[in-house]
Amino acid sequence: MTVAADRLPSLDRRFGWAMTAPGLLALSLVVLFPLFFAIFTSGFEYTLLHRKYDTFVWLDNYRSIWSEGYLGQSLWVTTTFVVAVVLLEFLIGFTVALMLNAVQRFKDVYYLILLMPLLINPVVVGLIWRMFLHPELGIVNYVLSLLHLGPVNWLGDVRVAFWTVVLVDIWHQVSFMIVLLLAGLASLPREPYEAARMDGASIVQAFFYVTLPLMRPVIVVTLLIRMIFAVKTFDLIFVMTRGGPGTSTDLISYFIYRSAFYGLDLGKASAISVVLLLVVLALTGYLYRYMRSLA
Amino acid sequence: MSAGLAAPSRTLRGLVPHLLLIAFSASILLPLVWLLRVALTDKLTAYRIPPELAPLRLDNFVEIFVHYNFSAYFLNSIVAAVGSTAIALPLATAMAYAFARHNTGGSGLRLVVLASQMLPPVILVLPMYSLFLMAHLLNTWTGLLLAHLAINIPFLAWILIAFFQGDVEQLEQAARIDGATRFQAFLYVAVPVAAPGLLAAGILAFILSWNEFLFALILTGKATNTLPVGLAGFQTQRGVDIALLSAATVVTILPVLLVLPFMRRYLIKGLSLGALK
Amino acid sequence: MKRLLLTAGLSLALGTAAQATTVHILMENVPDTQFVKDQLPEFKAKTGIDVDIEAISYIDMHSKLVPQLSSPQGSYDAIVVDFYWVAEFTQAGWLMPLDDLIKRDNVDTNVYLPALMNLVGRVNGVTYMLPFYNYSMGIIYRKDLVADPKEQAAFKAKYGIDLKIPTTWDEYQKQVEFFSRDTNGDGKLDFFGTVNQGQRGDCISMQWSNYLYANGGQYHNKDWKATFNSPAGIKAIEDYKTDIAKHGPAGAESYCFDEASNVFGQGKAYSFVTFNILLSGFSDPKSSQVVGKADIAANPGGGLNGGWGWAIPNSSPEKDAAWTFIKWIESKETVKKRALEGGAPTQGWLFDDPEIIAKRPEMPQLKVLVATAQEFPTFTYTVDFVESLGRELNLAVTGQKDAKQALDTAASDFNKLAVKAGLQK
Repeated sequence: MTVAADRLPSLDRRFGWAMTAPGLLALSLVVLFPLFFAIFTSGFEYTLLHRKYDTFVWLDNYRSIWSEGYLGQSLWVTTTFVVAVVLLEFLIGFTVALMLNAVQRFKDVYYLILLMPLLINPVVVGLIWRMFLHPELGIVNYVLSLLHLGPVNWLGDVRVAFWTVVLVDIWHQVSFMIVLLLAGLASLPREPYEAARMDGASIVQAFFYVTLPLMRPVIVVTLLIRMIFAVKTFDLIFVMTRGGPGTSTDLISYFIYRSAFYGLDLGKASAISVVLLLVVLALTGYLYRYMRSLA
Repeated sequence: MSAGLAAPSRTLRGLVPHLLLIAFSASILLPLVWLLRVALTDKLTAYRIPPELAPLRLDNFVEIFVHYNFSAYFLNSIVAAVGSTAIALPLATAMAYAFARHNTGGSGLRLVVLASQMLPPVILVLPMYSLFLMAHLLNTWTGLLLAHLAINIPFLAWILIAFFQGDVEQLEQAARIDGATRFQAFLYVAVPVAAPGLLAAGILAFILSWNEFLFALILTGKATNTLPVGLAGFQTQRGVDIALLSAATVVTILPVLLVLPFMRRYLIKGLSLGALK
Repeated sequence: MKRLLLTAGLSLALGTAAQATTVHILMENVPDTQFVKDQLPEFKAKTGIDVDIEAISYIDMHSKLVPQLSSPQGSYDAIVVDFYWVAEFTQAGWLMPLDDLIKRDNVDTNVYLPALMNLVGRVNGVTYMLPFYNYSMGIIYRKDLVADPKEQAAFKAKYGIDLKIPTTWDEYQKQVEFFSRDTNGDGKLDFFGTVNQGQRGDCISMQWSNYLYANGGQYHNKDWKATFNSPAGIKAIEDYKTDIAKHGPAGAESYCFDEASNVFGQGKAYSFVTFNILLSGFSDPKSSQVVGKADIAANPGGGLNGGWGWAIPNSSPEKDAAWTFIKWIESKETVKKRALEGGAPTQGWLFDDPEIIAKRPEMPQLKVLVATAQEFPTFTYTVDFVESLGRELNLAVTGQKDAKQALDTAASDFNKLAVKAGLQK
C-alpha cells in the first residue's frame, strides 16, 4: 500500500518528540532543575547557615550519613511501611474495584463515597484521626469500651503505633488504587472473558487466566506509583507521631526533613535523598522492565 | 452460559458485590459522619465522653467564612486543581502516547521524568523557591499552577501509557490505512479508547493538586494560600480548633456531591467504553 | 468570581505600589495576633501605613521562614521569631541589628523583663528583637480542689502537710499521687493527678525540662558541656515515667499539648505542666468544663522559659516601615491594651498595673513564673537538639531504653552539636 512511505521511522520519531516536547518543557522549567540541584548539592558542604558552594567534599556526605545511627532504622521502617501499605491497599482496592465493576446500580453513589477521603489532605487526615483515636476522649476507644474491649493505646504503644498509621493511611488512600484499577477493568475487552466463560471456565478461573493477565500493565503501574508516593509519606507521620514512639514510625522523608531544616545541613539531606532516589529508581526500573516484557 | 443455574443463586451472586461495597462504604462514611457531628458542635462537646446529644449548631460553618479567609483558600485551591489538571492532562496524554507508541526517549527519558517525583518535596522546595523568586512567580496563581503541573505530569504520563497499549494499536493502524494522520489517529482513535484511563488520571491529578501542601506553603502568600495551608492554620498554640477544622473539612468534601449528576453520566459512559469496541 | 479575581489582583498590585506602604508580617496563630490585628486601624490612622498580617500555624512557620530569610529579598517586612530559632537566625545573619534604631528613637528596652530580653531580645550583646510574647511554663492546677475543705482534710490526714498551691516538687508529686483516683470503682483510673505530653520531639522535651529543673538539674555548665545526664536527670525521667504510668491517662506517651489540654479541659485532671498561655483557654466555655477553676503555679526550681520577639529580616523590602510598626506595637498604650484583652505580656510594669490585675488576677503569679523561668540551651542547633533529646526521652519513657543510656546518648549528641556551634572547646 502506498502508505508505506509515511511509516518512516524518522517521521514517527519526530512525531513522538513533538508530542513529548510541551510536557517536557513544563517539567524542565520547574522540577528537573531542582532535581539536578539536589544531586549537585549532595557533593558539597552546603548548610543553611552558609549557602555557598565552596567546599566540594566528593562522597563525604554519603559516608557521614551512616554514622547518624538511626538512618538504618529509618530505612527499615520505611520499607516495611511501604510494603504494608501498598500490599494491603492493593488487595482491598482490587477487591472493591472488582465489586464495583460487577454492579450496575448505585455505581455512582459508591464511587462518590470512596472519593471523599481522597479530598482531605494528609495533615487534616492526621488531625481528625488523632481526635477519633484519642485514647481517653476519642470515639473509637469509647465504642470499643461498649463492646467490652479494652482501650487501645493507638499511638503510644510501640507495637501498635506503626499499624495505626498504616490503617489510617489505608482509610485515606485505598481509593487511589480503586480509581486506577477500576479504570483498568473498565477498559478491558469483554470478548476474551466471555469466550472463557463459554468454554466452561468458572468465575475464578476466568479471573486468574483472563482478567488478571490483561490487567497486568495497569496493575504494575498502579503499584509503582503508589509505592513512589508511599515512600514520600510525611505529613501523616509529622502530625500523628513525629516518628515515635521511639523510632517505630520514623519514615525516611521525616528523617530528611530533620536533616535539612533542623540539622540545617542541606548537603547531607541531599545525599540521603539521592540514595533514596537511586533505590526507588532501581525498583522502578526493574518493575518497568517487567511491564515491558508483558506488552 | 450457565443457563442451568436457578434464579435465587444468581440474585445471591448479584447481592454479594453490593454487600461488600456497602461494608466498604460504611467504613469510609462512619468516620465522616462523626466528623460532621463534631463540625456541628464545639470543642468541648467533641471530646466529651460518653458523647452526649448536644444541640447542633451551624456556628462553625459561619465562623470559617467570617473570621478566616476560607472562601479565598477554597477559590485558590479550585483554581490550582482545575487549572493544573486541565493543562497537565493534555500534555501528559500526548507524552504517554509518544512513550507507548513510539518509545520516545527510550526507557531513559521515561525514568528521568518519573525520577523528579521520587525525591521528597523537602529537597525540591528551596531551589524551587529561588527559581520562582527570580521569575517573580511567588504568591501568584501562575506559579502555583506551574508547580502543581510539574508534580502531576510524570504520574499522569506513566498511568496513561498502560491505557495506550493493547488492542487500540490495531484500531489505529486501520485508521491510518484509511488515510488518517498520526495526530488524527491519536486524537480520534486512541484517546476515546483510553477514556477510562483519562477519567481516572484527571481525578487523580485534581486530588494531587487539591491536597498538595509543602509547595503551597512555601510558594504562596496570603492572597494565594490554598486549603491545605489554610486548614493547617487551625493548629493554634492553644491546641487544635477541632470543631472549626471539622467544619472546614466537611466543606472541602461537599463539592464532590455537587459533581454527582455529572458523575452519573460520565462515569457510566467512561467506565463502560471498553464494551463499545 | 470576577470581583474576587479583581480584588486579588488589586491587593497584589497594591502590595507593590509605591504610594501606600504596606508592611507584611508573618505571625503565628496565637490570641495576641488577633489583638494586634484589632489595633491595626489605629496604626493606619496615625501613620498611613497598611499592615497585612499573615498568620500560620507554629509547626509550619520555620519551614516557611527559611527560604524567605535566606533569599536576597523576601516577602515579609517584619516577622516574629520563636526562641528556638534565635541563635540560628542570628548566626546565619538573617536578622537586622536594631541597636542603632533603638538609640536613634529613644526606645526604652529596660521595660522588658530581663529573662525575656535575654531570650528573645539580645544575642551576644546585640539587640535583634523586641520581645513580643511570652509562654513560659508552669503548673496549671485545679484551685477549686485545693480550696475544698474535704480534700484538705483527707490530704492532711494522708501526708501530714497542708494542701495548698504547690511550692516544692515533692509537695507537688504528693498532690499528683493524691488526686489520681478511680472514682467509679471499675479498676481503672478516671481522674488523673497530672497529664503528660510524652510525644517524641518538641512535646516531651518541653514538658520534661520542667521535671529536670524541679529536680535541681541543668542542661549544661558554663563551658557548654552537657550536665543533664546526672542523677537529677535520671530522677526526672523516673518521675515522668511514674506520672505517665500511674497518675495519668492511657496513651499519654503519645500526647502533645492538644491531647493533654483536652483531658484537663474535660475536667478529668488535677494538674497539667504546660505553657502559661493555655490558662486563658480554660476559661472559654466552648472548650473547657473547668471555667473559673484553673490557676497556675510556678514550677519549683523554675519553669521553662519561652517567648517570641519582633524582628526585621535583612531580606525585608520595607525596613523603615517595619520599624515604625514595631516601635508602635510595643509602645506603652498598645501593649497595655493587648494585656487587658488577655495577651501574654513581656514588659514588667504590666504585671504590676492595678487595672490589669483587676481584670486578670493571675498576673502576679505570672510575673513570678517569668521571673524564675529557666532558659533552654539556645544555640544554632537548638531544634536539632530538641529532636534528639525528644527521641531519647520518648525511648526511655516508653520503656524501650534504659534512662541512663538514653540521657547519655542525648548528652553526647548535645556535646557534638555544641562543638559544631563553636560553643564547646
